[in-house]
Order: sequence, then C-alpha cells, then structure tokens
Amino acid sequence: MNVRQSASEIESDAARWVMRIDREGRSPDVEADLKAWLAGDSRRAGALLQAEAVWSMTDRARLLEPAPRRAPLGRVLAAAAATAAAVVLVGVLLLERPDSYVTEVGEVRRVPLSDGSSASINTASRLEVEMGERVRRVRLDRGEAWFQVAKDAARPFRVEIGRVRVEAVGTAFSVRRLEGGAEVRVTEGVVRTWVEGAARAPVALAAGAVSIVDERAGPATPRVEPAAIDRELAWRAGRIDLAGETLAEAAAEFNRYNARPVVIADPALADERLYGVFRLDDPESFAASVGLSLSAPVAADEAAIRIGDPPG
Amino acid sequence: MREDARQRLVTWVATSVMPHEGRVRGWLRQRLQSPEDIDDLIQEAYARLAALDRFDHIARPDTFFFQIVRNLLVDQIRRSRVVRIEAATELDVPSVYDETPTPERIAGARRELARVGELIEGLPERCRKVFTLRKVEGLSQKEVAERLGVSESVVENEGAKGIRLILRAMREETVDPEYRSRVRDERATKRQ
Repeated sequence: MNVRQSASEIESDAARWVMRIDREGRSPDVEADLKAWLAGDSRRAGALLQAEAVWSMTDRARLLEPAPRRAPLGRVLAAAAATAAAVVLVGVLLLERPDSYVTEVGEVRRVPLSDGSSASINTASRLEVEMGERVRRVRLDRGEAWFQVAKDAARPFRVEIGRVRVEAVGTAFSVRRLEGGAEVRVTEGVVRTWVEGAARAPVALAAGAVSIVDERAGPATPRVEPAAIDRELAWRAGRIDLAGETLAEAAAEFNRYNARPVVIADPALADERLYGVFRLDDPESFAASVGLSLSAPVAADEAAIRIGDPPG
Repeated sequence: MREDARQRLVTWVATSVMPHEGRVRGWLRQRLQSPEDIDDLIQEAYARLAALDRFDHIARPDTFFFQIVRNLLVDQIRRSRVVRIEAATELDVPSVYDETPTPERIAGARRELARVGELIEGLPERCRKVFTLRKVEGLSQKEVAERLGVSESVVENEGAKGIRLILRAMREETVDPEYRSRVRDERATKRQ
C-alpha cells in the first residue's frame, strides 16, 4: 500500500504535467499517461486545474489592467504578439516598416520587440519602432518607456526623443519625454546620449545614472542613484513609490495615470513630504492615506479627488 | 473533455475562482489546525471544479467555491469520530458571501489578476526568463531552451518551479482585512 502523497508533492507533479502538456500537447500518449496519474488520487485533478490556471493566467496578467473599459487582456496580448510577428514577417519583405504602440492614460504595457528586446511602456505614451539593418530605431513621441535591449553589436538600439538621442548595444534604460528634452535612467550597462545636430560629443551614462538631456544644452551632469531609479521605475510593477516627494509632486505623478485628478485644495499641504508605496491606478487609497496622516479632509466625486479644505 | 472546453474552464478558474482562494483559506484557517489539511481540502475543492461540465450558470463563483469547501469540511467533520462542536456550529456562510458583488470586490479580483504580472516579475531570474520567453514572446519550450543555452528539462523544471512559486505567493496573500474584521465581529456577536 502506498503512503498517501502530500498536497505539496501532488502540486509539484501537477506543475510538471502542465509543462509536459505545454510541450507535447494533449496527444493520445499524454492523455493516457495523464489519465493514469489522475486516477491515483482524487486531489490530483484539483492540483492540475490550479497549475493550469496559473499557467494560463500568466498570459493575461502580463499587462496591467487598470481600467475596466480596456479590451480583454488576452486579446490585447494576442494583438501585441501578432504585431510583433507581423514586424518580423514584413521586415523580411520591406526591411524598414515602423510599428507604433500607444498606451492610454493609466495603461502600462510591456511589449516584446522583434529583435528580442522588450519595451515597458508607461501611461499616455506613443512610440514607433523600426528595426533597420544597421540601426534599431525607436521614436518616443510622448510619454515614457523602459527598454531591455537584446545584445546586437552590429545594430545599435537608438531611441529618438525630438532631437535627443539615446543609444545602447545591449542594456536596459528608460527615457521620458519632457518639454524640450528627455530624462534618461540607466538600469543596466551603459548608454550614450547626445543631441542630434549639436557640436557636443556624446556622453556615456552608466547603470544607476539619471540625466536630463536638454535639446539645446545637451546632457546635464548625471546624478547617480541606483536606489532612486528603482523607485522611479516602480510604474513597471504598477506602483508609485514615494520617498520624501512632496504632496504636489505625488499628486502630479498620480495624475499621469488617472483621468480623475488628485487636487490639493489647501495649498498649505502641497509641500508636505510623503513616504509609501501605492498602486498607481488607485489614487483614492493614496488620498485616503494622505488624509489620515496629514489630518486633512478628503472628498471624492466623479470629477476629482480633493485633499484639504480650500483656505478662507 | 474537449480541449477548448477545458481551456474555458481553466480560464474561468483563473479569473473567477483563484482570486478568491486567499479569502477561503483564511476562513479555513480559523477551523482547521494543520496547514496540510487545508491544502488537501483546497485541492479536493478544485478537483470538484475540474469535474464540472458547465459553469456558465454560476453567477457567484466565489460563493460557489466557498460552498464546495464548506461541504467538504462538513463531510470531513462527519467522518471524524470526534465532532468539534465549535467547528460544526461555525460552518454557516459568513454574510460577506451573501451579498451581490460590489465594485470593490470585483476590483479586488481584478487587482489580484494584475498582481500576477508582478509575481512573474518577482520570480528568480531564470524562471522569469522562461515565463517571459514562453508566454510573452511565444517561443516553444525547445526554442526557449536554445535561447537560454540550457536543456529542455531545465526549461521544464524552471517552468514548473515558477508555477509553484506563483501559486504559493497567491495563497500567502493576506486575507482581505475588511473581511477578517467582519468575521471577528460576527463571532463576537454570536458569543454574546
């Protein structure tokens, strides 16, 4: 007589079954083996269902789902995958066909690029990707994106923001479009940045560096703060991470992601410094915590979330 | 079961049942001492779901799942010789399950789903790579193995490990605090 398997052992087997089914499909052989396994213990069917659910859930969970009005995640992802596939296909025929990605307010998307790189695109952004023979070119028209660049020494990966250029061979970095320039954050490796048409030589930025590149003045002296970069890129995980930012700055950050703005009705509160990690799609919880810690009233209606009483 | 029907069931479980598992486990923890017993019971409950022919008529998947768990627990208590009076009297449905879904609760489930994305990001490096290459970039396991320069069995191991880590992370999620305080209130009322 066999010793009864623990739930944990069953779960481990079930996870392996999911991988095998994923690899071989439900062929008659697989079905027969699976049936025999399932018959051995009533709990196994349950564990298999759980493991399959996790495996399938990861399809749709890649993309954050902040707004209910969006298309089902699976479909969006399928569309993204199809686009990436199309780029590869068309790329063979035409070589240079740009492909554009747009995110709405509150939407954060991660898309695979045809060269093996990936782009995590922040709220309200638009970018165009063109995989050329000599240069992999991304044009950031608005917003912010973080790139994980696949190594390809023969084809540099160049992001264009207005006249600002940021180039890498294989590394990870983010760029955010600003009025008249761009902000660059390097998370891995080294990038070069310069302004197209300017006399100044490119400036190299290493991991941990943040620099604002002005279209006229060129790259500013970078500040090197690896911990701050992780915090500032918390949007990739759907969060806003505050470590001493003022309420005014925090509200502006939330308002990047939400159509219903956080409004500071009492200007005396604007410079209060805040700490904490919040979901970027949940400004109301943020406002509630601020209200609690600053003893300020919070009023939310359809138009806005107001913190504090207007003076007078 | 036909493959697409199975896939529909899997998707339904992933989106409508699993996000509520943490809450059901919280309820069970107040009634069962051993974590292994809870794991067994939850697996049995999912096994009942696996046997469903239809599920589209189930308006409240969370309540439905909870009922299955409760019935399994009742059976278990009946089978055991010593009936713990306390356990038996507290098996009524907490009122939180009687209500129609509130936007908050729906949002909660949606958040849970979004959290899976973060859980993947939090996987150990090689595990996360396997998930990303296989699931996002759509490579086959064989291609993933080639891309990472490892054998296919490594890919299988990493994938299976990732599934378990995500399952574990999902169930270690704390129970909804609002729910917990309400259950406490209800029990306090009963004792009076």
